[in-house]
This record gives sequence, structure tokens and C-alpha cells, in this order.
Amino acid sequence: MLKINNLSATVDDGKKTILKDLSLEIPAGEVHAIMGPNGAGKSTLSYVLTGRDGYAATGGSVEFEGEDLLEMEPEERAAKGLFLSFQYPLEIPGVPTMTFLKTALNAQRKARGEEEMKAPEFLKKAKALAKELKMDPDMLKRPLNVGFSGGEKKRMEIFQMMMLEPRFIVMDETDSGLDVDAMRIVADGVNKLRSEEFGGKDRGMLVITHYQRLLDYIVPDKVHVLAGGKIAETGDAEFAKKLEAEGYDAYAA
Amino acid sequence: MPMPLDLKTLPHRRQEAWKWTDVQAKVSEDQNGLTRTAIPNFDVPDGVKLSEGEGQKGHGAMAELAAQFGGQSWNVYVPANTHPTSDLVIDRLAQGHARIAIMVDKGASLTMTENYEGAENGFSNLDLQIHLAEGATLNRRVIHRDPDSHIRISNVHIAAESNTTITQHCLSFGGALSRLETGLTCEGEGVKAILNGAYLLRDKRHTDMTSFIRLKQPDSHIRQAVKGVVTDKSRGVFQGKFLVERPAQHTDAAMRHDALMLSDSAEVRAKPELEIYADDVACEHGNTIGALDESALFYMRQRGIPLKQARALLTEAFVSEAFDSLADDTLRESLNAQVQAWLEANA
Repeated sequence: MLKINNLSATVDDGKKTILKDLSLEIPAGEVHAIMGPNGAGKSTLSYVLTGRDGYAATGGSVEFEGEDLLEMEPEERAAKGLFLSFQYPLEIPGVPTMTFLKTALNAQRKARGEEEMKAPEFLKKAKALAKELKMDPDMLKRPLNVGFSGGEKKRMEIFQMMMLEPRFIVMDETDSGLDVDAMRIVADGVNKLRSEEFGGKDRGMLVITHYQRLLDYIVPDKVHVLAGGKIAETGDAEFAKKLEAEGYDAYAA
Repeated sequence: MPMPLDLKTLPHRRQEAWKWTDVQAKVSEDQNGLTRTAIPNFDVPDGVKLSEGEGQKGHGAMAELAAQFGGQSWNVYVPANTHPTSDLVIDRLAQGHARIAIMVDKGASLTMTENYEGAENGFSNLDLQIHLAEGATLNRRVIHRDPDSHIRISNVHIAAESNTTITQHCLSFGGALSRLETGLTCEGEGVKAILNGAYLLRDKRHTDMTSFIRLKQPDSHIRQAVKGVVTDKSRGVFQGKFLVERPAQHTDAAMRHDALMLSDSAEVRAKPELEIYADDVACEHGNTIGALDESALFYMRQRGIPLKQARALLTEAFVSEAFDSLADDTLRESLNAQVQAWLEANA
């Protein structure tokens, strides 16, 4: 589903190379985790995949369902179904959450040539989901993320994810700022999107995390270590526990 | 033949108050309306009286010209304790000089809307003098939509007695050169005023929002917020001054001007000023000029919102803050819709 081939990428106007010949393939229906030390390029990978300005791919390719992802604008990638749960979700002053999300959903649908979702259907879905994620419905009326705590912002990312039902999800340090209860709620949401009922067979996920604990709740099919700008080792869910215990010293560049 | 207007009498950039709005440099002999009397149209609510008379004269060169070419003053009178159920609407200020004097008597209220829609290559000069007697309320709205070639000066002064309430909301899309000037003198104590505005400018348009608020007595509460959006080679000007005189203790006054540059070729000039002689007051001013937040734009695009739409949404949210304090829902929505339409065409 997502094929990364020998990807190299720079930041700071090409001054700093962060990813070096990184290759990774994530088939539909699988959840892969990327772990690694700080500064290994985990967040850079998430921004290169989603097309953020300033994160330039200088070599290699990324194919998403057979299409060249790197050629697309960020909004086109989103419409294709690529979703990034941000490590630091942005505050959008003056734009109510519901307005933001409805605009996003219908912009994606329009780009895919689908019909817009009507307001009543959208509201019904949003209300049910807010309840499921134990969110205060008033949060949906407030400007997106403005004045929210770190944990509330992360929960809002999951809310958006479940409203948009993306095909491929990149989660960048979603566990940071979450207490155990909140993490369980978030993981329940993610696991629901993995389930058969919600089309999990056709959906891929890349979970970027520094710590193993999130992976107790979202059990990955594969775990990769990102170090020195490339995948240094790959293992199964148990491998994450070993990494947690032993640290990343063995992969120091 | 009327006598000509001596262009040398027009304000120019070597005068401090006009340094960013050089009327003399912009006006040429062939401008329509230079020596004419404007014929405004008034929708007068029941209970409000309109007459012609001497009126009052404002200060400065433009007021002198209005006195010279503007003919008689249109005088609007709202009797004491009257609360008209509809708005006073003033429009057709298409070109020429106009003089208007409005008196809102004790305990009365008036909601007024000025629609500025100028003629091609026209010149408009308005001298509007408003007097609010004790306990009076004024809601003033200005919607300014001139063609590219129009030059407009709107010079407004409000004299506010004790315990008066003022809300003002201006929306300007500029013109060849425009200055919307508001003077407020708080003659009495306990004046409450909200003086907000927004300008959105494209091409080579120019809007100058200048204000001078003079507090002479204690306990007034002033909030001013002006939002600017400029693109292409347009120029926005904000000059704001609070003068707090010695007796005006417990004044609570805050002034903000925030401008967004949608392109690097546009220009914003701002001069916020405080001059305070009373020692127990809360006064502040803030001024920012910046671009849209790139991180926020990326976040929105990652959710599937196209760049142009993301820019428009963020800009609209930024501008609409100036109209949050507008009690009239219909008008607020109308202003926001005009902002949206402008953004769709220009952002």
C-alpha cells in the first residue's frame, strides 16, 4: 500500500540530510511501528510523507497505492486518504472545530469526486463519536485546539481521524501528553479503525513512537528501528519490548 | 462657475497627521466633485427629524473645504428618550462635499449606517459631526466600497457626554485613496465605546483608518480593534491615539491594530500612540503586522483543505474578530459574507 524506496530527505533548505536511503513497505491491513532515538528522523519521515514545506525528498521514491506520493500537494495526499496525527497539533484561532472538520471532509470528498456530506449526517456522526471518545461536546464548538490541553489536542486528532476515516494513518508520538486512561481511549479508537467492520483490511498505519507503552494498546504487526536516517532493524511486537528494555545505544550512528 | 478648489490647500505628506495619506499628491484637477455639493440620501426613521441649517464645522483643512463647497449642513435630530425602531441610513455619497450634523438627545438612541459607494474618478469629502447628550447611545456602521479611481475623505467627530455608549464598526475595501477618520471626545464621565474596523485592500488601493480619542473625565471604557488585510501593491494605514487628560482617572482603554500581509509587495503603516496625564488608568496598545501562520496552513492542507481555501478561512477568522462585538446578527453575517467574497476573489 505504501512503498518507500531508498528515500533521502533534507531539511533547512537542503543543508541537513536527515533520511538516508530509507526503505519500508507497509501493506494494507497492517500496522507498523517506527521507534528510535530522538533526532533519528522520525518526525521528518512523517512530514516528508505528508508534503510539508521545508522537508524535501532528494532521492528515492514513495508510492502510495501505485501513485507517486511525492508529486502531490499536501491536500491531494490527504484526499487520497493519507492522514497525519500531529505530534504538536496546531491551534486554529477563529475557526470552530466543526466548521474546520466539515470543510476538510467535504474538500476531500470533492477532490475524490464524491458527494458532500450533508450537515445533519455530519452532526450525528460527530456527536456519537465525541461521546465514544469521552469528549465534551462543547469542545466541538470552540475554535480548533485553542486553549486545549496537550491531551485534549491529541484526543482531537483521533476524533478528526475517525471522522475522516483515512486509508493510511501516520501517528507521530500520539502517546506523548496522554495519561493511561486517555491512551486507552485513543487506542480503542485506532483499533476500531483496524477492525474488519470499519474497513481495517484496506487500511494501513504507521505508528511513530519513542516509547513502547502505546504498543501495548495498539499491537503492531511489525516494529522498525529508525536510526541514522534509515531502518536499522525490523522485528515483531515483542521486539519493541526488547528495545524498551535495552535502549537504542546499539544503533548509535 | 463655482470658484476652483485650490489643490494647495489639500493635506499632504509633509504634515505629520497625513504623512502616509498624501491627498494633495493624489488629487488632480479633473477629479469629479472637487467643487460640488454632495447630495446624500437619507432613510430617516420615525421620530427622527431631518432639516437643513448651519450645523457645525469640524477641524482641519478638509472640514474647511467641506464648509466652502458643501453648502448647508444636513441636521439630524433624535429627541430625548427616543428609540427609533429602524436605522438611519445615509448613502449616495458618490462625489462632492457633504456636511452632516447629528444630535442624539438625552437618553435617546440611534443606529446609523453609512454606505460609501463613490463614482468613478470621483472625489468625496464628508464632515460629520455627532453630538451625544447624556445617556445617549450610538451604533454607527460604515461600509466603504469605492471604485479603484475614487478618492474619499470621511472626517467624523463624536462629542460624547456622560454615560453615553458608542459602538462603531467600519468595513473598508479602499479606493484610490481613502481616509476614514474618527475623532471621539469624551466630554463627560463613564463613556463606553467600542471602535472597531477592518480594511481589505487589493491592487493599489489605500485605506487610512485614523482615530483620535480624547478622554476628559473619569471612568470611561474604550476598546478599539482594527484588522487589516493587504495584498498586491495596496497600502493600509492605521493611526490611533488616546489622549487621557489629567481628570480622566480610572480610564480603561485598549487599542489594537493587527494586519496580515498576503503578499510582500503590499504595505502597512501603523502609528499607535498613548498620551496620558492621569495617574490611575489602564491604557494599552498593541500592533502586529505579519503573514499567515505557515504551520497552521500546512495543518489545514494535511486535513484536505486546499491552500487557497485554507488561506481564506484563516484570514476570514482573523478579520471577523473585529465584528464579534456587533449585536446585529444579520449585519454581522452580511459583513462577514462581504469579507468572504473578497477573499474568494483575492486571497
